[in-house]
Amino acid sequence: MASLSRAASAQVIADDAPRLNPHSFQLAALSAPAVLFTFAMIAFPFCYAIWLGFHSFSATGHSRFVGLDNYRKLIGDIEFWNGLYVTFALYFLGLALQIAGGIYLAILLFNAKRLSGFMRSLFISPILLPSAVAGMMWIIILDPSIGLANYLLSLVGLPPSEWIASPVWVIPTIALIDTWHWTPYVALIVLGGLQSLPQNVFEAAQIDGASPARTFWRITLPLLLPTIVTATVLRSVDLLRFFDIIYIMTQGGPGNASNTLNVYGFKIGFEYFNIGYASALMLTLSTIVLGVVLTLNRLRKAVAW
Amino acid sequence: MASIRLRNIVKTFGGPNVISNLSLDIDDREFVVFVGPSGCGKSTLLRIIAGLEPVTEGDVFIGEQRVNTLPAARRNIAMVFQDYALYPHMTVYGNMAFALELRGLSKAEIDTRVRRAATMLDIEPYLDRRPKALSGGQRQRVAMGRAIVRDPQAFLFDEPLSNLDARLRGQVRAEIKALSQQLKTTMIFVTHDQVEAMTMADRIVVLHAGVIQQYDTPEQVYEKPANQFVAGFIGSPTMNFLPVRLQGDSVVLAGDGRALSLGDEHRGRLRSAGGEATLGVRPEHLVLCNPGDGIAASIKLVEPLGSDTMVHFDLAGTAAIARVDPATKPKVGETIALRMAPSRVHMFDVKSGQVLA
Repeated sequence: MASLSRAASAQVIADDAPRLNPHSFQLAALSAPAVLFTFAMIAFPFCYAIWLGFHSFSATGHSRFVGLDNYRKLIGDIEFWNGLYVTFALYFLGLALQIAGGIYLAILLFNAKRLSGFMRSLFISPILLPSAVAGMMWIIILDPSIGLANYLLSLVGLPPSEWIASPVWVIPTIALIDTWHWTPYVALIVLGGLQSLPQNVFEAAQIDGASPARTFWRITLPLLLPTIVTATVLRSVDLLRFFDIIYIMTQGGPGNASNTLNVYGFKIGFEYFNIGYASALMLTLSTIVLGVVLTLNRLRKAVAW
Repeated sequence: MASIRLRNIVKTFGGPNVISNLSLDIDDREFVVFVGPSGCGKSTLLRIIAGLEPVTEGDVFIGEQRVNTLPAARRNIAMVFQDYALYPHMTVYGNMAFALELRGLSKAEIDTRVRRAATMLDIEPYLDRRPKALSGGQRQRVAMGRAIVRDPQAFLFDEPLSNLDARLRGQVRAEIKALSQQLKTTMIFVTHDQVEAMTMADRIVVLHAGVIQQYDTPEQVYEKPANQFVAGFIGSPTMNFLPVRLQGDSVVLAGDGRALSLGDEHRGRLRSAGGEATLGVRPEHLVLCNPGDGIAASIKLVEPLGSDTMVHFDLAGTAAIARVDPATKPKVGETIALRMAPSRVHMFDVKSGQVLA
């Protein structure tokens, strides 16, 4: 009886066992390019960077496993802490300006009654410029002797500024340039959010007696929060990895005043060829970016309605 | 509480008039229903009263005050929207308290008002929930609660039942009616559902193409429709319309010349209209009778509804319906005889559709 029962169980297990789908091979063959591409472009470089971070390289190219030495070295590296400070100073300043400016611009564009298409095209045009072109353009504009910026300051009776040549002003100046470049991108995202908001809620607020200012603070802004957090995530990733405009305009200077972690890592890796240390630094930066993104994702869930 | 008067209202959105020279008086504490097909201008009219749409021409009075330029916030009216328009990021309590906070009421006063309204509407257990955690019926109640706490001069309802299922619609309809009797405030209710109009209104405004077709009590609108549009719009199934003409001294069906016994009054009406008219008779006023006492018709379709049975047939080439007693057990293909009481028959002008007096 017991053996019969065991035989029956075995039969059931055999029936439940996954069978090879006749199309399995075709499915595997068709998905292979995507799997290989993902591995080659994401998984391999990431794993390779982790491997590099645990190694030191000699001038002849020989590698040596050093464990966590590269990471220990980061803790004592004053340039790393400077880079972290510069990165976050630029991040907070740029993000605040871009989010506030993006919301303001989006509301202006949303309420534009005339030439709305033209206004949108005009205001989003900075996004279309490559960073290299934008950087070169701003170098000329901010030139202390021939630039337009100091000329405009002189028109309103203000003394000329050194702009990116000043260790004090370089971070605010770069934050402003990035704000000019990317605020329209935030505005586009927020504008999409505004357009998808239920309009009768605003009519209800009108009937409830809310002034335009109250409507903005109590209705529009809370309803836009999920969209704003999405824009914040996207801009956070870019701002924390800030590289192109800084490299074109200041190369991290004057001194190390604009030496973000990304720029510092690039210099270590491709100017001093300290690949292992640069990899450890970049993985640290990636972890920071990931942490910020995960935190913001939690915030997005908290503000969802 | 206040009366509402509209004088010579014209509204256009740039094209043809959506509302054409409309005047209307709504008494204080009256429950008035605007009813009409989609695009007839009923919601636009409501939004004009609310202050959400400006008038192109004409005047709006709430009480004795002309409110044309008064913003919605200062009209002291409350509105319940079709999809409720609750603030999705606020709790039920927050939704109901918002207008009161804006008025600067004390927290204690706000709390008292919100809880009183919540108790009245049976939504107290949901005060801490957000709208997305509520069912359609509960959201509808919250929307009403948000209106009630404000103690407005008038309540405006813009098709608030259209998103509810049939059972809930009937229940909430009765609740709104009971609420109107309890609150004794002027209420304007917009719907395209004539059952809602008939069951809730003190008076009904039947609108078509931005023009008031009839403004009267539900009984009068049903019993004495002003024109063929009203007669066809109010009542379910719709009124039967049959072309008739005067042949000698007899009123006959235009399609096949069969005579109808309708009496002198209708003959006179037909004569004054040039001998041709559209006869209107409701399905319940077509009564089964003995063969030879009425018009014969062959049954094409039978719809048993339980309490009544709808019998579909052709009369002189025109589709018609009679509401009959289910006990008669009519069958498809069977020939029946029908008669209509002259007092229940309406005559409409062929061209204008106006009722022939």
